[in-house]
Amino acid sequence: MKPAATYAKMYADPSYKYFLLLLGAPVNLAALVVYWVQRRKDAYHVLYNETHAALLESDVKLRIEAETLEQLRCKMSFFGETLSPERLRRQVESVTADKLRQQAVIETERKLERRGVSESSYVGVVQNLLARPIFFGFSLIAGILMYALMLVYSNPYVKYIFERIVMSLFVILGVSVLVFTILYLSPMNPAANILGETATDEQIAQFNRIYGLDQSYLVQLWNNIKGILTFDLGKSFAGNEQVTATIARKFPITLTLTVISLAMSVLIAIPIGILSAMKRNSFWDYSFMFIALIGLSIPSFWQGLIFILNFSIKLHWLPATYNPQNALSLIMPTVVLGTGLTAAVARMTRSSTLEVILEDYMVTAKAKGLNQRQILFRHAIRNAIIPIITVIGLQFGAMLGGSAVTEKVFNISGIGSYIVDKQFIPDIPSILGGVVYTAITISLINVIIDVLYAFFDPRIRTKMKHY
Amino acid sequence: MAKLTFKSSLEYSEATFSWIVTAGIAVILLLSSYDLWTQAVRPSVLIIALVYLLFALLQLGLAWRIRNDIARSGAIRSSTRALGYIQLLSLFSGNLFITASALHLIKRDRNTEYTLAVYTLLTGLFVIAISALNLFKPYVADTFLPAISLLLITTGFHLISLLLVARFMKGRIAAPWLSPVAILLILTSVTGNLFALLLGINLLIKIRHNGKPATAKWEEVWGKLTRSTTSMIGLFFIVFLFSMAVCSYFTFDYAMATENNYSAILQHPSLAYPLGTDNFGRCLFTRIVFGARISLIVGFFSTLIPVVIGGALGAISGYYGRRTDNIIMRLLDVLYAIPGILLAIAIIAAFGANTFNLIIALSVGAIPTYARTMRANVLLVSTFEYVEAARALGTRDLLIIIKHIIPGSLAPMIVKSTLTIGAAVISTSSLSFLGLGVEPHIPEWGNILKLGSTYLESHSYLAIYPGLAIILLVLSFNFLGDGLRDALDPKLG
Repeated sequence: MKPAATYAKMYADPSYKYFLLLLGAPVNLAALVVYWVQRRKDAYHVLYNETHAALLESDVKLRIEAETLEQLRCKMSFFGETLSPERLRRQVESVTADKLRQQAVIETERKLERRGVSESSYVGVVQNLLARPIFFGFSLIAGILMYALMLVYSNPYVKYIFERIVMSLFVILGVSVLVFTILYLSPMNPAANILGETATDEQIAQFNRIYGLDQSYLVQLWNNIKGILTFDLGKSFAGNEQVTATIARKFPITLTLTVISLAMSVLIAIPIGILSAMKRNSFWDYSFMFIALIGLSIPSFWQGLIFILNFSIKLHWLPATYNPQNALSLIMPTVVLGTGLTAAVARMTRSSTLEVILEDYMVTAKAKGLNQRQILFRHAIRNAIIPIITVIGLQFGAMLGGSAVTEKVFNISGIGSYIVDKQFIPDIPSILGGVVYTAITISLINVIIDVLYAFFDPRIRTKMKHY
Repeated sequence: MAKLTFKSSLEYSEATFSWIVTAGIAVILLLSSYDLWTQAVRPSVLIIALVYLLFALLQLGLAWRIRNDIARSGAIRSSTRALGYIQLLSLFSGNLFITASALHLIKRDRNTEYTLAVYTLLTGLFVIAISALNLFKPYVADTFLPAISLLLITTGFHLISLLLVARFMKGRIAAPWLSPVAILLILTSVTGNLFALLLGINLLIKIRHNGKPATAKWEEVWGKLTRSTTSMIGLFFIVFLFSMAVCSYFTFDYAMATENNYSAILQHPSLAYPLGTDNFGRCLFTRIVFGARISLIVGFFSTLIPVVIGGALGAISGYYGRRTDNIIMRLLDVLYAIPGILLAIAIIAAFGANTFNLIIALSVGAIPTYARTMRANVLLVSTFEYVEAARALGTRDLLIIIKHIIPGSLAPMIVKSTLTIGAAVISTSSLSFLGLGVEPHIPEWGNILKLGSTYLESHSYLAIYPGLAIILLVLSFNFLGDGLRDALDPKLG
């Protein structure tokens, strides 16, 4: 890393400039003092003052003044305005002064260029200072935060990952605020719902005090955001259990389920999609795509019920409800959960492969004499897989959310059915925790996918070099 | 070469597709004709399955014949086209795939109006057939007889207009005296038969332009759409359900769907109760018919609201760019991070479960996707020269957005919204199934299913039929969406 060059680059980047100045405040302050001192005896300023003075004395000033007066008169007559001579004179003076200053800058720069000296700027001063080992050593201690930021900035990959993470932090914060606000605005009264109709006003007030519901919006919001970040959302309204502990117990169940069905659907869908694209408009293409469309159209709870009806009630092959000890009981929920994803990925694979196999480089590959297999694996799939991964990433989020329904059908005590169970009260910390932690998981997965792109897609990799 | 020719033939690909689908349905019916529970065969289902299988085999033969015809002479012989009349009989088994394919086979040079007229007639016939099932009930609604006679008269008129269109419509030239027919057709669309409306509008446009392609885009889109069987079948089912929802006000008795009748509890399907009755003795068939109304309403509004709001936000952020864009899109990222169903659950948890809240809850989660789609389109369209020209002429920003940018970037929005109405229908019924959607006393498909799921062991039909209705409606929207995508913007596919 070249600190001087990185500093200059960051200074020019408006989204980093202020962080740079803020994080390296001691270093920047020192540099600023040096800059002011240097400015006084700087060649540029000396020359500029000379030129400006010379211009003021010369007849250039008179010429500009006359010109400006003429222009202002024309303007006034065009717009039909009248100005008092006093104001006119002042306007002419100020415009003339401006023009003279511009003239002086231009002439100074021309002269300096002839001599080969450049204007001293703040960044230039810092760059010069950083090149000196003593200043650099001191600044390392004083501006350690600034150097950390510069280190991040100097490597495009690290910078990209850093920006992505900062962005998702903001998203997570936004999600927390949004969900809490929705629940705060709720006209429902959890206290009355839990204590029953016979509860007295004092009991309700007591309940609200215990759970902090009597505090102002901002206090409650702050407490909840703090709770989300420190994994301590307090106790749930009903059942008196630690919310985060319960979520930590239920979340892995949902996650296991989704990951298994994700793996299953990807394994099934990608070969089907590629096959359909390669044999376009054939029997297999029609059949697979029709089945995929049905898969998209089937409501998961209905599919679950039909599965239970046929495979559990009638055939007795599989257990109807989920049981962690019994691996067989995982089959139906994962198939139901994965159906929509399988269908979406198969359709996406087909269309993206179709798009790729019409590209020119496929013809080139064929012309080079590669066989069908090499063309397919080396060129078609590698290019077609990018949009497919995007769809998988998006669908994974939908799957985590949609698992609520499947979990209800198969009686799985995952995070989805937890949120649904809690919403009747409404149990604010539980719902908030459930929704926000799910959203956080999805955001993190999307960050990972984006970062993987940056590493694996050669096109993005080239772009990153100029990032 | 020969292989390419028959593959690109529309008749051949339709015939292939329809026999595959029919065979698939036949196999499913065959499987369900054998009751695993009682180890017995259901004769009625078996007969229907065999009928489907027969038509599938006939259609397979027909597809083979078309293939040979094209391979030999490059065109389909008239004798092969005549075979389509036999396949028309499949209409009586309710098999639209083969019927549609046969109708396309029969007429050599068909046009948009012919296809629309056929579907107008089919919709009317189906609505009458379904409404007529009420005749087997102990009693019918007071308005049943006048309503059904009106429907019969309308359908008769639709038949006449089909014949007129087939006879007097050559290419894109329509006989000018057809305009009263067109206006009457538009009037008959009050029965919910949107095909009649479309046909009337199309006829009027053609008559007015007298064969000159003045509205090329509209004609082209409808031309492409009517040529694709699957999207027309999708549109048919949607229009049919819509028409059913409108006509059921007069031909169905709402009390049958909501009032308890303890003398007819949990009856198996019969002629009086075509799909059986539930645990309160309510007719499942009538309930499903009334459920269509609420599904269509919720699906429509929970798509329309995010299209308007998301579209506006996307247009603004795409057009103004820079800081506006950054702020709007970052805020929408927050909404985008929460899965739609979870956000809906949170909103409903806060404000209570009813239809209005359901629509709002589903709408809010869908805003960011529409905003992103719109933004991408607007970014593209605003670089076009006509936008620059408008700006150079000094048109105000708002006017540019409304008059030039939005019309230019609407196509992908239409496609996307059609595809997501289906998803909204699924979400509606899913939330109702969880007890978070439509109020439990309203006959909505998810509610019916929730009730039926408790009788899964003994009366599984209570859960199966509403689910089938949901699948058919969602499938129709997906078919239509795919067709619209191909018609509006082939690049999107």
